[in-house]
Amino acid sequence: MRLLIVDDSNMIRSRISRVVQSGGLSNVSLVGLARNGAEALRVARATQPDVVTMDLTMPEMDGIECIKEMLRMLPRTNILVLSALSDKSTAIQALRLGARGFVAKPFSDDELKIALLDVAEGK
Amino acid sequence: MESLSAEDLKLFVESVRQYFRVVTRQEPQITSAYLATGELQGHDYNGIVSFSGAFNGHVIVSMPGQLLKELLLLQGETDLSQGNLLDAVGEIANTLAGNARKTLGPALQISVPVRLHGSAGIQARVRKHPYAITLRWNHQPAVVCIDIERR
Repeated sequence: MRLLIVDDSNMIRSRISRVVQSGGLSNVSLVGLARNGAEALRVARATQPDVVTMDLTMPEMDGIECIKEMLRMLPRTNILVLSALSDKSTAIQALRLGARGFVAKPFSDDELKIALLDVAEGK
Repeated sequence: MESLSAEDLKLFVESVRQYFRVVTRQEPQITSAYLATGELQGHDYNGIVSFSGAFNGHVIVSMPGQLLKELLLLQGETDLSQGNLLDAVGEIANTLAGNARKTLGPALQISVPVRLHGSAGIQARVRKHPYAITLRWNHQPAVVCIDIERR
C-alpha cells in the first residue's frame, strides 16, 4: 500500500513516517508528505497513493476541503483522518465525505498502526 | 460575553493530562489551575490557537525548550532545532484546543497555530483574567493559558 501523510506539523508527519518505517507495517510504503491540502493534491496527483492520513486544521486548504477534492480526483483512495477536532460531528462529517476512518489526537503508535491497517485493508 | 464555567474549564485540565498520558505514558503533575489576576510567567516556546465561531479567545501553551526536546526524543525525533521545537509546541496547542470541541461542540472553530519564541509571548496576548493551568512533567515546568468566552 502506498501512503501519503498530510499534516501541517512536522512532528506529526515525522512520527507517522517512523511508525510506518519501523517495521510495524511492512506492507505500507511511504510515497509522499504534504503540509496542507493544496500540497496534498499536487503530491497525490503525482504519486497516486492508496492510503492517505489527513489532518483537518491546516493552512491554505483544510482537510475537509482536501478530502472532497482528493476523492473527486482519486475516488479509490482510502483516507484516515487524524485530527485534534475530536467531537462526533467532525468525525461524522469526515466519514460522510468519504473518509474511511477517524483517529483523534493525541494518539499512541499502536492506535495509529491498528487504524492504518484497518483502513488499508478496507475494514 | 460569558466566561466559561469552572466545570467547562476542567476539560482543559483533563486534556493536558490526556496529552502527556498518551504521548509519553507519564502523567504530568498539575501544580495549579486558577484564574490569573497577575502576570503569567511564560516560557521560551509558545503555541497559540485562536477560537472563533460561538467562542472568542485563545489557548496558549508555553513550554521551555528542554521539555519539548524530551517530548520529541520520546517520539523518536532527533531534529531538536528551534524550528522543530516551535512546531511541537504549536501542535500541542492545536491538540488541546481541538479536543475542546468534544465538550464545547462543533460551534467552536479553531485557527491553525501561531508559534512564538520568547517568554514575553504569553504576556502579550492574554486578557486581564485568563485561566491558567501550571504543570510539571519530568521535572520541567509548563503553563497552559485558557482565555476563552462564549459569544
